[in-house]
Amino acid sequence: MEGAEEAGAEIAVDSKDLQQQSKAFDKLTDRVEDRQLDSSRVQSAMASIAASREADLNAKRLREKELASVKINPADVEFIVNELEIEKNVAERTLREHKGDAVAATRQLLSRYPL
Amino acid sequence: MGASLPPKEANLFKLIVKSYETKQYKKGLKAADAILKKFPDHGETLSMKGLTLNCMDRKTEAYELVRLGVKNDIKSHVCWHVLGLLYRSDREYREAIKCYRNALRIDPDNLEILRDLSLLQAQMRDLSGFVETRQQLLTLKPNHRMNWIGFAVSQHLNANASKAVEILEAYEGTLEDDYPPENELIEHTEMILYKVSLLEESGSFDKALEELHKKEPKIVDKLSYKEQEVSLLSKVGRLEEANKLYRVLLSMNPDNYRYHEGLQKCLGLYSESGQYSSDQIEKLNALYQSLSEQYTRSSAVKRIPLDFLQDENFKEAVAKYIKPLLTKGVPSLFSDLSSLYDHPRKPDILEQLVVEMKHSIGTTGSFPGSDVKEPPSTLLWTLFFLAQHYDRRGQYDVALCKIDEAIAHTPTVIDLYSVKSRIMKHAGDLTAAAALADEARGMDLADRYINSECVKRMLQADQVPLAEKTAVLFTKEGDQLNNLHDMQCMWYDLASGDSYFRQGDLGRALKKFLAVEKHYADISEDQFDFHSYCLRKMTLRSYVDMLKFQDRLHSFPYFHKAAIRAIRCYLKLHDSPKSTAGEDEMSKLAPAQKKKIKKQKKAEARAKKEAESKSEESTASGASKSGKRNVKPVDPDPHGQKLIQVEEPMAEASKYLRLLQKHSPNSLETHLLSFEVNMRKQKFLLAFQAVKQLLKLGAENPDSHRSLVKFFLMTESISAPTTEAEKLRWRVLEAERPSISQLQNKSLMEANKEFLGRHEDSLVHRAAYAEMLYILDPSKKTEAIKIIEDSTNKVVQTNEALGQAREWKLKDCIAVHTLLDTVLLDSQAASRWKSRCAEYFPCSTHFEGKHCSLMPDSVYNSSRKSNENGDTPNHPMGQTELSDGQLEAFKSLSVAT
Repeated sequence: MEGAEEAGAEIAVDSKDLQQQSKAFDKLTDRVEDRQLDSSRVQSAMASIAASREADLNAKRLREKELASVKINPADVEFIVNELEIEKNVAERTLREHKGDAVAATRQLLSRYPL
Repeated sequence: MGASLPPKEANLFKLIVKSYETKQYKKGLKAADAILKKFPDHGETLSMKGLTLNCMDRKTEAYELVRLGVKNDIKSHVCWHVLGLLYRSDREYREAIKCYRNALRIDPDNLEILRDLSLLQAQMRDLSGFVETRQQLLTLKPNHRMNWIGFAVSQHLNANASKAVEILEAYEGTLEDDYPPENELIEHTEMILYKVSLLEESGSFDKALEELHKKEPKIVDKLSYKEQEVSLLSKVGRLEEANKLYRVLLSMNPDNYRYHEGLQKCLGLYSESGQYSSDQIEKLNALYQSLSEQYTRSSAVKRIPLDFLQDENFKEAVAKYIKPLLTKGVPSLFSDLSSLYDHPRKPDILEQLVVEMKHSIGTTGSFPGSDVKEPPSTLLWTLFFLAQHYDRRGQYDVALCKIDEAIAHTPTVIDLYSVKSRIMKHAGDLTAAAALADEARGMDLADRYINSECVKRMLQADQVPLAEKTAVLFTKEGDQLNNLHDMQCMWYDLASGDSYFRQGDLGRALKKFLAVEKHYADISEDQFDFHSYCLRKMTLRSYVDMLKFQDRLHSFPYFHKAAIRAIRCYLKLHDSPKSTAGEDEMSKLAPAQKKKIKKQKKAEARAKKEAESKSEESTASGASKSGKRNVKPVDPDPHGQKLIQVEEPMAEASKYLRLLQKHSPNSLETHLLSFEVNMRKQKFLLAFQAVKQLLKLGAENPDSHRSLVKFFLMTESISAPTTEAEKLRWRVLEAERPSISQLQNKSLMEANKEFLGRHEDSLVHRAAYAEMLYILDPSKKTEAIKIIEDSTNKVVQTNEALGQAREWKLKDCIAVHTLLDTVLLDSQAASRWKSRCAEYFPCSTHFEGKHCSLMPDSVYNSSRKSNENGDTPNHPMGQTELSDGQLEAFKSLSVAT
């Protein structure tokens, strides 16, 4: 009888702990209103973040255009995709970077690790 | 949102959304049903009802309703958003992102959708997308603090720390001068420290230091402040100031090794390699002399000098260090000194010192040169230390002598049996090790640590049912072994998987290894909720650390081990598909016996099926008893039988191989397995890449050599290429071959011979040479065997009085035995090798040494009943007494010196 009571108490304590635990976990994903900032100060702060994207985009576009003009053999793309188990676009890009030379492209990929 | 509904129903719809947000799902369900009564085809209501059901674990219904919702209202951003949330909850992140993008196409500036999208982008590490989304959120709602912080963090993660600093500074410009209020001191502290760490990370140390000093009044985390300051002072070269600050930190915590390291660096006394000049040693000694006067209770201050002191100074210091610990009886002393054993001379000094101590205490009751009488336990702990010392040095016979002396001295100390168990494991008797660990466990049934150690030893001895029974003594009632899985107990999964693998049960083994992989997948998913939580709490430094930790999660040892073993399972499945030893034996039997056994197997299968269905029923009934809807799904493949039915084992192996290649590229084993898998897949270029990696990491490793020879033997034996692809492959290999220095102007046979020439004295290298010799030319089998048998097991570190340690390792000798038996296929040579190794490893069960537990007179013979809880009612604490007979049996495990 005494043992049974102790067992009961233990279970009660255990379930209480579990309750607190699950409550804490639940709290993690509670919806909370975000703190608001002063409007006038915010506007001047926004102005100070200027985008300098244009130049980067232009450089990237030029590079892509250059690569796109390289002719590559579809059989070579298929070979690299199959042998090295990489994405098709990666294989294509590497071939273009090596001006369509399948051996050179494959060797460069082999020296890259992991692929 | 719900615009087409009348006002009453529109309000109910808002209630559904609010109930979902505040997790009051029943209320939301009620509201949804009320709307659907009048508008049964309303897409958005159907979607929200589905989402609510999803949170109530009614997933099948949820998907039906949400898909119906999208179908009925395909132009609603709410419906697409909800479908995305559903996919997200099932971790289908790519599908979820598609849905969010569809939703944004309809409503481009929807804040909720953008926020959810940013969470997914963070989870998937789509960092450029993350930056764009966070920027859009900031543009739309610049007066929300979280949007500033989120944008800054996204820039940081996208490798633009300086941009992140700009954003944080702009954000600070929005704050009042008396900011922060009392209740936000902690959040603001974290933001400042994060900003300082960004400056540090981008190399602006001076600026970081300036910012840190300027903001000091607002930083409430003084410890982080000091630690960050001292790091920056060191980096800008203000070593005097850093020195002073490290001493302040040491006064706060003199046992923090990072502070000791920092202090040493400031003084120019730190050594990465552990090599010190005599001048450095002198200065370090003076430093620690001074520190020991200042911090008399610090263990680190006493222990660190043992790392840099040498010879007589070392002996003196280590004697002073260990004496009080032996007197006090500290069991972890040997572990504490373990790192000293990597030094060439310190183990000998330690041995000499402790042997002297043991002798002196044994004869006079005092330490050498002392008149103070030691308590009787000092001798015990000295013997305990010596046993571990000799175990570490591979002298298992001497180690056993010492531990037996200690047990004879005080047979009730649990640690003695644990250490003896470990010695027996190293000596090769896993059965005895398990029995001893069980004996230790029996002496304290309330200690889970020794219970776990016992379970592990039982698994190592392949006693899986006994291990399971022992493990469940500490698991939650009712759930038993599943509890270990639920609590992500990976050491258990690995150890039991290894045991099943050794016993040839690939299904169960694979089941266990993949369970570990699943734990890691779960840990990876666990980060999801913190992408918004940490921005709210502003614990940004910890958040970024967590993200970086998650990025290299699969590089941790447990994942590495599980993936390697899983791949080995798949290799076995590939090499012998669906065949078992039983089936092989079946083919040899007479037809009548065959029939009989088949019948028996059928009966067994039927009984097994019934047992499984019963266990499923009991699981289901258990769930209904508890009354909870949240029922754990029944495991459809509890013993891994479906796992071994896999159609393409090599494709499965490749999944884990890719993770190893990405996260464990410096492990030889990664590339060995890559070689094995890709050779079987006929992906010769990938196999070649693996060989190149092996040669880069360890060109002289025996396994690297094996792979090199096997690869070129295979490719050279292939007939001339015919297809375009074959020709191209051949050209690539031709272009690459000159870069393999081992093969320049040499045949494979010559390369193999040169390899032997470089490693004539090494058993494992000789074995690799012999194996490759046989593979290159099977007619040279006799020569190969001779090379192995002519190997010499040299003596190292002679101590005449206390036996000898030899060069060969037990596991290497076992590997050679396997090689002779299964590769060279010479059972007589294998038998000779076994007899020879039985002499070197008398406790090894593999070699059936004369002192192992397989011997009829051994106390650990398998006929002995296991010591289970409650088996000895006369001794409630377990076996605490040794009868004379058992004592004699223990002694028989020793070797006369």
